[in-house]
Amino acid sequence: MKILEAKKITKRFPGVVALKDVDISFSTGKVHCIIGENGAGKSTLVKILTGVYKIDEGTVKINGKDINEDKEIIKKVSYVPQELDLFMHMTVAENLFMPFSSSGFTSMIVNKKNLYKKALPYLEKFKITARPDDLVDNISVSEQQLLQIAQGTVNQLSDIILLDEPTTSLTTDDTVRLFEVINQLKSENKAIVFISHKLEEIFSIGDEISVLRNGEKVAYSDINEVDIPWVVKKMTGKEINENIKFQPKDVAEEVILSVNNLTGEKFSNISFDLHKGEILGFSGLVGAGRSEVMHAIFGYIPVWSGTVILKGQPWKLGDTNYSVNNGLIYIPEERKQQGILSNLSVRENASISLLKKLKSFLAISKNKETVIVNEIINTYNVKTASQNTKIKYLSGGNQQKIIIGRSMFSNPQILIFDEPTKGIDVGAKEEIYRLMKSLAEEGIGIILISSELEEIKKCSNRIITLYDGKKVGEFPTNKTNNSTIINSIMGVNKI
Amino acid sequence: MEQTSKFKATLEAVKKSNLTNMGLVLIFLLVIASIFSPYFLDPYNLQSLVRDLAFISIIALAQSCLMIIGELDLSVGKIAAFCGVIGGMLMVTGSINPYLAFGISLLLGAVLGLINGTIVTRLNLNSIVVTIGMTGVYGGIVLVLTKGKAITGIPKEIYFIGQGYILGIPVPFVIMLVTLVVVLFITQMTQLGRYMYAIGNSPEAAKILGIKVNNIRTIVFILVGFLSSLAGMLMVARLGTAQPSIGDTWALNSIAAAVIGGIALTGGLGNPFGAIIGAAIITVIQNIIVLFGVSPYWQTAVSGILVVLAISFHSISTKIGERKRSKIKVV
Repeated sequence: MKILEAKKITKRFPGVVALKDVDISFSTGKVHCIIGENGAGKSTLVKILTGVYKIDEGTVKINGKDINEDKEIIKKVSYVPQELDLFMHMTVAENLFMPFSSSGFTSMIVNKKNLYKKALPYLEKFKITARPDDLVDNISVSEQQLLQIAQGTVNQLSDIILLDEPTTSLTTDDTVRLFEVINQLKSENKAIVFISHKLEEIFSIGDEISVLRNGEKVAYSDINEVDIPWVVKKMTGKEINENIKFQPKDVAEEVILSVNNLTGEKFSNISFDLHKGEILGFSGLVGAGRSEVMHAIFGYIPVWSGTVILKGQPWKLGDTNYSVNNGLIYIPEERKQQGILSNLSVRENASISLLKKLKSFLAISKNKETVIVNEIINTYNVKTASQNTKIKYLSGGNQQKIIIGRSMFSNPQILIFDEPTKGIDVGAKEEIYRLMKSLAEEGIGIILISSELEEIKKCSNRIITLYDGKKVGEFPTNKTNNSTIINSIMGVNKI
Repeated sequence: MEQTSKFKATLEAVKKSNLTNMGLVLIFLLVIASIFSPYFLDPYNLQSLVRDLAFISIIALAQSCLMIIGELDLSVGKIAAFCGVIGGMLMVTGSINPYLAFGISLLLGAVLGLINGTIVTRLNLNSIVVTIGMTGVYGGIVLVLTKGKAITGIPKEIYFIGQGYILGIPVPFVIMLVTLVVVLFITQMTQLGRYMYAIGNSPEAAKILGIKVNNIRTIVFILVGFLSSLAGMLMVARLGTAQPSIGDTWALNSIAAAVIGGIALTGGLGNPFGAIIGAAIITVIQNIIVLFGVSPYWQTAVSGILVVLAISFHSISTKIGERKRSKIKVV
């Protein structure tokens, strides 16, 4: 049964048509997957379906009622955002039932005991191990993600559940948990909308699929009738070979970075070497300490003991300024908070690490700046309306290209990529892989942290696995099968 | 072709900008004042207005630099009073050359800024809390030094700085203009300025970019201390006495001026020039209240209401605009 029907919806923003004549409908008891590259219009569609944006043309009807006429009907849609949106200093149960009025707690006074008791079945259903009275701040990221999804389903009015990239920070195990829950919701006759970049997931959970490209719906199908290459082709408009590898060739013998027995708050006794021209992959579960080790080498967090040697010279720890000036650059996972300067323009974001070169006397030369930023935009194929566009209006992939571009123009020797393709679509992902490969082949040492095994296997020459803050394995990529690596990151077969 | 489209884009940006809105508010106030009060355009009134404006503006410029990096300094007024009183004592009791004393005071201001900045950055504390505390410290020392009495007998040589004119323009206003140029140069054209905006947008991202975040924050605090002391000493030269009550309203007025001028309290957004427009709006409001003969007991309340209205203007006008647009759609 169709519960939501959108017809010919069009949404314009100054200068762009974000959605054009899109027809889409969701049925009860089915998982409808929506896929598309960044900037294809997924977020706009989500914002229309959740009532954030008003459409310029077309109609959206839920249970046959137009959302513009019946203001209440939009509450049938509950939305689980991609970015965690929880109250960190409140308890699990309080977060779960927020807002209280729509979750059945209508009394003026909040009865905590009752709240905790009512929360237990939900926690059990979602296999969340945290207690209802734990502060959200103290539970793991993947449990937070599950809690966020649970919160979306608690609302008793909701018949349509919109999941926006729910698995981005989930481990494989958690994803399985999530899928069980989704299947259960399906059997309760809810309509599920599942937005994801991960194609395998779409094929394991979806019933039907719609593909968006450049604001238009370019394809729709029952999921059983299509395969991954079909989806990729529809998304990008071109064929992509799944088996292409991006490992740099001709890795040099020369060791450019040598880490010895590094120990800090969340990791201990980490040792490894990085060769010139190599991509070294770091694999591990969320919380295994991968990012922390890199933060420590980069100087962002303190080190308790251990040494780092770069090109034979002892390396100064604890000073990001020193690291950057000496050619070690870290490209952070949290692009929004730690990567881009969101209120500044593309130009200011691109030039921020190159300002020393752009000075004429005391001031920054606008001309030199424009020229070099143009070069970055062209070299790295950044799509932006102009240099003066605020960077927050660019898609994730284009923001990442600006970050990589500005790093490259400051002549690094070592680049650390922390989840470089998080929230980035298939087409742009390959572009980033190709970039990393060509950078390595120019003689730069690259460290790649990634939660996607496929990504690590495609790109890196060697793989180091971490478990619970310790190094548990080191493998040459091409001579190792997936299960060996997975066992290693799961803590089985410790070396 | 490209030229005209560029021009159009600039025009659009100017139309949309909060600065333009605030400029309109300012012009509106000026028109109201000149229509309803015969004294407003009187040269004497204008000169005194411009001189008042200079003091708030200097502090507001300083405050906006701090707001760009996402911090606030509530002790600006007391730094001004502290430096003013020390400067006055050096001139009167110490019989030091008044210009030398002026310079020493400015240095003292920079040192007080350094103290604020060091506490905030090295101990990783919230700047609002720290500077509220330091307000007490500086204000307390002033009371101990002066026992609440003004220091009189400031040498006449430096009156020129506070009371004189250059080409008919009050000297404090000229000094304010110089400050404006320097602040605009630093924030809009230099590496330091870019780094300030970067820190205001995200201190974490700035650190990852290799920017020495704490050093820059400290530098801005020093600048604020220096400018506060400058305003304080100008006040001493203007009054001819060093009052312990100098700068009592400066902290809040400077923040209000910067906010009116479109500088975000959250950091990383806005142009310090806006702070001047904000300061002008506040000064003109205060002037109008006096000219319109509002009872002195009411003056603070009325000026408070008007300032809140000015701050809300942008958000109210955006809301009205949205409502208009949605009405058009329904028809």
